[in-house]
Amino acid sequence: MKRLAAVVTLLGLATATAACSGGSTNTSGSGGGGGGGLFTTIDVTRPGLEATAPANPYHPKGNSFVGYNAMRIGWVKNHLTDPNQALPGIAASWEIAPDNSSITLKLQPNAKWSDGKPVTAEDVKMSIGIAYTQGSTAFSITPGAAGAAADVTVVDPQTLKITQDMDNPSPTFARNVLDTNVLPAHVWGSVLPADFWDKLKTARGDGADAEKAREEISALGEKVLAFAPPKDVSAGPFVLERVNPSEALLVKNKNFFNAANVAPAQVKFLNYTGNEQIWNYLTQGKLDQAGFTATPSDVMNRIKQAPGNEIIKGYSPVAVSMAFNQSKKPYDNVHVRRGLAYLIDRDQVTKVASPEGGTPALTTSGIHQKAAQAWIPETVPQLEPYKADVAKAEAEFEKAGLSKKDGKWTLADGSAWKVSMHAPSGFTDWLSAQENIKSQLIAAGVDAEVVTTADYPLYLQELADGKYDVGFWLMALGPAPYDIFQRLYGASNGWTNVGNKVTHNAPGKNGNWMSGPEEIEVGGEKINPGELTAKLNTVGAEEAKPIMAQLAKAANQDLPVIQLWDYVNTQFVNNSRFTGWPKDDELLRGGGKVLMSGVWIQQGLIKAKQ
Amino acid sequence: MTLIARRLAGHLARGLVMILVVATITFFIVNNIPGDPMAAQYEKLIEGGMSPNAAAQAVKVLYGFQPDGTLWQQYLDYVSGLFRLDLGVSVTRPGTPVLDVLTEAAKWTVLPVLAGTLLSFLVGIILGVFAAIRRTGKLGDALAISGSLLHGIPQYVLAMLLVVIFATLIPILPADGSVDILYEPGFNAGYLGSLAEHAVLPVLTYALSAYGGWILAMKSSVVTVLGDDFILAAELRGVKRSIVFRYIARNAILPLFTMLALSLGLLLGGAVFIEKIFNYPGLGWLLIGSVQDRDYALMSGAFLLITVATILANIVADLFYTVIDPRVRSGEEAS
Repeated sequence: MKRLAAVVTLLGLATATAACSGGSTNTSGSGGGGGGGLFTTIDVTRPGLEATAPANPYHPKGNSFVGYNAMRIGWVKNHLTDPNQALPGIAASWEIAPDNSSITLKLQPNAKWSDGKPVTAEDVKMSIGIAYTQGSTAFSITPGAAGAAADVTVVDPQTLKITQDMDNPSPTFARNVLDTNVLPAHVWGSVLPADFWDKLKTARGDGADAEKAREEISALGEKVLAFAPPKDVSAGPFVLERVNPSEALLVKNKNFFNAANVAPAQVKFLNYTGNEQIWNYLTQGKLDQAGFTATPSDVMNRIKQAPGNEIIKGYSPVAVSMAFNQSKKPYDNVHVRRGLAYLIDRDQVTKVASPEGGTPALTTSGIHQKAAQAWIPETVPQLEPYKADVAKAEAEFEKAGLSKKDGKWTLADGSAWKVSMHAPSGFTDWLSAQENIKSQLIAAGVDAEVVTTADYPLYLQELADGKYDVGFWLMALGPAPYDIFQRLYGASNGWTNVGNKVTHNAPGKNGNWMSGPEEIEVGGEKINPGELTAKLNTVGAEEAKPIMAQLAKAANQDLPVIQLWDYVNTQFVNNSRFTGWPKDDELLRGGGKVLMSGVWIQQGLIKAKQ
Repeated sequence: MTLIARRLAGHLARGLVMILVVATITFFIVNNIPGDPMAAQYEKLIEGGMSPNAAAQAVKVLYGFQPDGTLWQQYLDYVSGLFRLDLGVSVTRPGTPVLDVLTEAAKWTVLPVLAGTLLSFLVGIILGVFAAIRRTGKLGDALAISGSLLHGIPQYVLAMLLVVIFATLIPILPADGSVDILYEPGFNAGYLGSLAEHAVLPVLTYALSAYGGWILAMKSSVVTVLGDDFILAAELRGVKRSIVFRYIARNAILPLFTMLALSLGLLLGGAVFIEKIFNYPGLGWLLIGSVQDRDYALMSGAFLLITVATILANIVADLFYTVIDPRVRSGEEAS
């Protein structure tokens, strides 16, 4: 018994020693920190840190945190109507030609890499070459692609001019140029072959040689994805120090052109695999900032209670909708869709599903209500709001030939009707919304069910395969007008747009699961919404407005989806260690994979709390 | 050839066949898991602010380098790769061999599982002997109840209970992660302390969840041995109590060693829940991520590693039994 006691005591001591030793804290200076303090955050764009991944912004798990140790030419803003607005990045300023045919970049005069070498126009040109291998929008080798660059010219070590191919121009050309990663040529230069620019010129032509050149450039993509620089060389405010599978540590880049205004001395990224871990970090007050994360209201209340926590809300160009597969009866009948729109109380759905992260959609327009007010203010009042109204819903159902027997709506042939809604497991807001809609429908005599799919990849495959009657679908993904409407009138509804050549696929073919009609009558005029949407990819703002108005009316009358709520960009910040958080809608969301907190820090907005 | 060498050769041959069979089944199951990872990746990118065209291109580039050809051709390539220890390349980690990814993750699973299992084994067998000897007393009852209770609680419930107790109610231990990045990796007190601190709750979960099984198995084994004639004979001869205790323990522990070897193999696969809860970057955690990403090569590799571990554990258990139990050895030699 004595021996046992000794063993237990030893184990207890070992545990206690381990528990007490090396305790980590989130305070400035812990374990080697110092200066402006430690800033703790997460990368909401991708779960799971990878200790062995390189500092490569194109690597899916790369330890390049865009805004922190990865820079872009500019930082595109979340502007309601002008997608080309941006904050300075490696480019201090730029000039866009009045006809949108070119953009001339002036680089930051004092920009240096973390190893002390200056950032030059050659670095930016090489970065554009790298972007071609990844097929960005502005730097595309797809023949006829809208908004592709025609030429990249180094004017002087601080100036570059990029011209657009005006055969098929895009109003978002400048945005797509600015939203390009900048990499050091002295580290990455070996990735591109010496004859790369000649090859690119050939690739822009026609014939077998051009095809071969395009294949060779595409093949370089794999090399770029896998490229592992021996160490991180950053032009951003931070440089990667080390990573383990749980955390990544970045330290201040003393060579950064605006280093004097960068508050944190270190940045720590925490790992997560699901939203639950982010919620835990937030309730413990561990994070100085976290980007948008869908959060149930009870968790949100706990997050709010943590000392120093604050929630910043702003415009997010995303909405969620209940989408119909119109190849399935009775959803092919517009009156059924309208009837359902009148039955569902969107205020109630939003209150249950996304009270903090959403505002009930005022109506279905295909566009976020804030963007709609900015783009098409005259059209918005003309749209049918579909306010919850049982009488109107029943009138629509009757027009569709449905009948009510023993308090339950049945199909025209008398058979039972059940609205079967699908959502992927883990999408808590979508599932809560569907449960609420189910209750509302059942109360109104429409049988309904919620079916959960194992995960998102499976959900998307089954949705595309046309297996669902009704599913939830993200829409209104702005800020560019084409991006907004292609969610309703793009590939999911039959229209494919390759090199600005629009074709319509039959229902069930090539990802057409919405299966809406190719032409819709809007205000007595037949329109092809897919072709109109494709036009948005090439026209300027003024020309876009009437098209957007037509498409909003089409979406409102034809209801391929019922717009449920418009997302609100909900950011989490903690004021205990840092302050100065921007409340400006335009600064809360940036380009693809951009961590806006890094942009705020490098612009000098964030201050260490004294 | 010695008896052990013959047995080892036989086991290895059978093990190899089993690994091939499991690799084949795993390959076809994994590659037929439904779901569209490209669509999911595309949706993620456009939600994150990327334009649809750019997102479509990025996805095309990322998935454009996946193995092509028929499934049968891919299978043949996979099997021939296995013989060269080439498990393919992870799609979410371009350029990184699956084996490297698995090796990196395995160390975070093997050490805590090993520590937890050995700890529970040691405590379980010692307390199991006491539970058997004092089976009519209060101590025996208490130990048996504690064993049954902990044996009955699912691992993930135990893990969450420990998080609530030690990370929320009495916040003395970290609830997640493997080590604080602020410490310079190496043999320094801060780093090692942080490693140990982060490992306490996962190890404790493994230990507590396995402890119940050991104590109950040991108690049962000791009770059986207590009724054996040689124990009665030793007591009648007036052999000292401590020596009788040793006779009991040595004979009763034999079947538990087999169980120990088997449980080490199985725990590698059972780490999924624990690692998910503690955000601990081991094989289970990697497996969850690879399923979410539909990283087929990584999924196949992770399943294969778990299979190999289980088969090896079986072989080790069998050989170990041959070494430590003279009855098995003499029986084989006689035959």
